[in-house]
Amino acid sequence: MNPRRPRCHQAWVALVLALLAAGCVTQEEKRDATLAVNLAFQTEYEQILAEKGVRTYKVKRTEAFVALHAALSRLGMRIESQEPEVGYINVFAPAPTPLNAREWRQVAEADLPKIRALARPHIGWAAEFINFEPQGLLVVINGTTLDSPGGSEISLTMRLREVAPPPSGMPRREYPPPTGVRLGLDKIWAQFEQELRSAGKLP
Amino acid sequence: MAESSYPDALPAQYRLHWYVLERVLGQGGFGITYLARDTNLDQPVAIKEYLPVDVATRRADATVRARSDEQNERYRWGLERFIREARTLARFDHPNIVRVLSVFEHNNTAYMVMRFEEGENFAALLERRRTLPEAELMRVLLPVIDGLALVHDANFIHRDIKPDNIHVRDDGSPVLLDFGSARLALGQARTVTILIAPGYAPFEQYYSSGENQGPWTDIYGLGATCYRAISGIAPMDAIARSKGILGSTREILVPASAIGKGRYSDRLLAAIDHALEFSEKDRPQSLADWRRELTAPDAAGSAAGAPTVRSDAAPAPAAAVSPSARGPIIGAVIGAIVAVVAVVIYLQPGAERDKLAQALQQSQEERQRLQAQQEELARREAEATKLLEARERQQREEQARREAEAKSAPSAEPPAQPKKPSPVVAREAKPKSEPPRARVQSPPAPSKPAAPERAAAFEPTAIPPPLPVPAAASPGTQKVESETLPAQAEASARKAENLPSEAAKTKPAEAVSTAKVAPDDRTRALQGDASAQYRLGENYETGRGVTQNYFQAYYWYSAAARGGNAAAKSKKDQMAARLQPAEIQQADKLVERLARSPK
Repeated sequence: MNPRRPRCHQAWVALVLALLAAGCVTQEEKRDATLAVNLAFQTEYEQILAEKGVRTYKVKRTEAFVALHAALSRLGMRIESQEPEVGYINVFAPAPTPLNAREWRQVAEADLPKIRALARPHIGWAAEFINFEPQGLLVVINGTTLDSPGGSEISLTMRLREVAPPPSGMPRREYPPPTGVRLGLDKIWAQFEQELRSAGKLP
Repeated sequence: MAESSYPDALPAQYRLHWYVLERVLGQGGFGITYLARDTNLDQPVAIKEYLPVDVATRRADATVRARSDEQNERYRWGLERFIREARTLARFDHPNIVRVLSVFEHNNTAYMVMRFEEGENFAALLERRRTLPEAELMRVLLPVIDGLALVHDANFIHRDIKPDNIHVRDDGSPVLLDFGSARLALGQARTVTILIAPGYAPFEQYYSSGENQGPWTDIYGLGATCYRAISGIAPMDAIARSKGILGSTREILVPASAIGKGRYSDRLLAAIDHALEFSEKDRPQSLADWRRELTAPDAAGSAAGAPTVRSDAAPAPAAAVSPSARGPIIGAVIGAIVAVVAVVIYLQPGAERDKLAQALQQSQEERQRLQAQQEELARREAEATKLLEARERQQREEQARREAEAKSAPSAEPPAQPKKPSPVVAREAKPKSEPPRARVQSPPAPSKPAAPERAAAFEPTAIPPPLPVPAAASPGTQKVESETLPAQAEASARKAENLPSEAAKTKPAEAVSTAKVAPDDRTRALQGDASAQYRLGENYETGRGVTQNYFQAYYWYSAAARGGNAAAKSKKDQMAARLQPAEIQQADKLVERLARSPK
């Protein structure tokens, strides 16, 4: 017996059940579930941003901008728009970038139960079939660099942008999962500091 | 001469010692270049005047003064650099290096007198011809190498080699222009300025403080210029390449040897690829080395002087590089193996079956891996194709715009001035509304004359760049300061976008055209003009000429509202509804900064 067959069957059954489940849920219920998740994620997102979204470094604003540009590029983000004079950079990449597969699994382990719990009151048992569906989603990050008394203030925000509907047909949410935001910001700051270090701007 | 196009320019017939100004050849953020006549020798010259519009202004008595006491120090500092650039250039007496005849101070500013050269800017030539046959390319390249070797021998590096900085005389000989960025290669590790011409600048120019730069830095620029000449497009920005190379050990630049195969000699293509090696250590370390690679007889026995290429060959699309054609064959072979293994498994009992099941699994994994590779290759192929299409489209748009500008321009020219076919001196001229940053991929039309601003960019630390210009996907020259940069000069830290291939997949036009806003509007917006800010907001809201971006729309509407534009207030609120509270906070801080910045 091929050892992969049961897993394969499982996957098919899960998909069929998920589609059935999605089919059994009305659009209004899906929307309410998504709104509930989005709202809860927004709250967490803003808390995380308050803690990790803004940092000040003793570097010139230009240096901060260049380092931020480099850091985001190296993490696989693509520049969509930038205004160095203004101190603004906008990058994007297909989800889950800037996270890798391992980090993404970590996000799923931490945040999927939360999503299901939030959605359950609205869509019932179908919530068990919710999964992260990075397909067709872009992670969009806005970065700003500003002069500040202590050097330069760098701030980051993150959002999800849908470019194609998910296989399940569930509405998308705008706010990324909290663990994803936390990991993503940590990763960006670490890379940013690495860039500053390599430019000799940070010990 | 101080016609509406150049309100800061000195008038025609104005006398500077024994030079009489005739007309403006071009203006940039750092100064104005005039066509003038040397009345002593009775010959035309080009005169570059230092006038950094960000920090200085022309007075009624023709003198140039800093706009404020705070800016005076920067102005003086930049002036010294301008003079030093002239002296740097004057050290080199070579037919392929722009000749500086004199430099002098007058009107509280400085003037650099250069030989007036007629011909065509190489960027404009490439714009017109798209690609060049090998023999013609070598006729430009080899003399430039010779001139540049002199510079390297004097321990200088040019650091801004690109088609815009090469001028081709009417007799076909090239002149290397714009040494505003030249620095001593040694002994100045604490480089003040990092010059970035995306596509033409190697990675070390983005992030190194100077110690990693050397002849190989200019060799990269030459290689990139050749790449442009054989492919019709500039190579991918080094930042974009770094993503592939540093992020996943994958090179994402389509090599010249793939793009030009069959149209150019293997020797030339290999030399270009060698010059474009990502790591500086992998590139030729001296121009002599690289010249040898270019001129050595190749396998077929041809030498540089007799390239065995089709002279009129059109560039092969980058897509031709893709091995996607092999995909179906690979897929079919793997599929057949999987099928055979599956049948054998079905027929085998017990342990053998398990073993074969394992083999099947491995084979399936291998198939998936190969399919992934195939998809990746197809993706890169599509990216390259879209990149080419997008850049072509952009170039066409740029050309159309220039033609439209050119039609409206002649009335500004003094009627007495003789119309030269393409008078160029220090570099290809660019009207004020078309600063250099937007030019690399959209070089000036052949009829446009020399631009002064880059030569005056010797030390942008003290000289702010031209007021912000939409650069976007069309890479242009940017300066990013790494040391002792005053706050305002940060405006020069303008990086053109590396063309996002993912965006190119979905909306290529937007992905590569983020900066088609009228430069004047942008300049005025950054100077606090509320109407211009409102128009920019509209552009970003609707995606007209730029990538649609509600954050930026909110930002500009907000700035306009702050400046008293009544209509902007409601627009700002509409945009706010599309943003996260955190994004609004970010944008508000930026607006606050803009309001505080000196106008």
